[in-house]
Amino acid sequence: MPDPKEPDFSDVESGSSSTAPPPAASGGQTYTVVPGDSLSKIAKRFYGSAGEWKKIYEANKDVIKDPDLIYPGQTFRIPGA
Amino acid sequence: MVVYRRTLSTLALGLLVAAAPACKQKTDRAAAAPDTSTAASTPAPAAFAVQSVEVGKQIGSDKRVTSPSTTFAPTDTIYASVATEGTAPSKTIAAKWTFGSGKLVKADSQTIAPSGPEATEFHIVKPGGWPAGKYKVEISVDGSPAGSKEFEVRR
Repeated sequence: MPDPKEPDFSDVESGSSSTAPPPAASGGQTYTVVPGDSLSKIAKRFYGSAGEWKKIYEANKDVIKDPDLIYPGQTFRIPGA
Repeated sequence: MVVYRRTLSTLALGLLVAAAPACKQKTDRAAAAPDTSTAASTPAPAAFAVQSVEVGKQIGSDKRVTSPSTTFAPTDTIYASVATEGTAPSKTIAAKWTFGSGKLVKADSQTIAPSGPEATEFHIVKPGGWPAGKYKVEISVDGSPAGSKEFEVRR
């Protein structure tokens, strides 16, 4: 039996939001770097424009330390075009 | 004169030693197929970290508390804004609201993919009005404590 002196918080409503986007859905498109690749080349392949390289960089900042320096064998998430 | 020549030699040797790591770095970069067309001199991404936790009655479009407060009225909506920096593919920020000596009021979480300075807000509202007393919101990131804030509801 609930203690009548204890406040009841069962009707509390809550919510949350963020300026940050949610993580990319798992199972999305990925690409493995081959020799001679650059972010610009990969961007052109997937988006048709080398200028979109930053989209790939932003989605893979955890593995890309320097956008000018990517290595064969690295696998990147490719955000939706 | 001999002393002068020796000094010059020492200086030259010092310059060579100082230049050696730069040459090594250049070689490494060349092996990794650099792309000068994307020559963004962006520093390495910062590690994700909570910068601050603020509570208040209102937030702005930037999800930050417009006027931090630690005292609320029973009818107020209470906001907690968590300012973070750094990048990560996925981080779960959780807020646990408690009353008095630890009675759970509400728990909520938000999973984000931050790419720099961000703010995440949590809010609670009680249609029947908040009981007067002391409250606390504890923030955790992926289950690890990352900050807390105490506040009070007064009638």
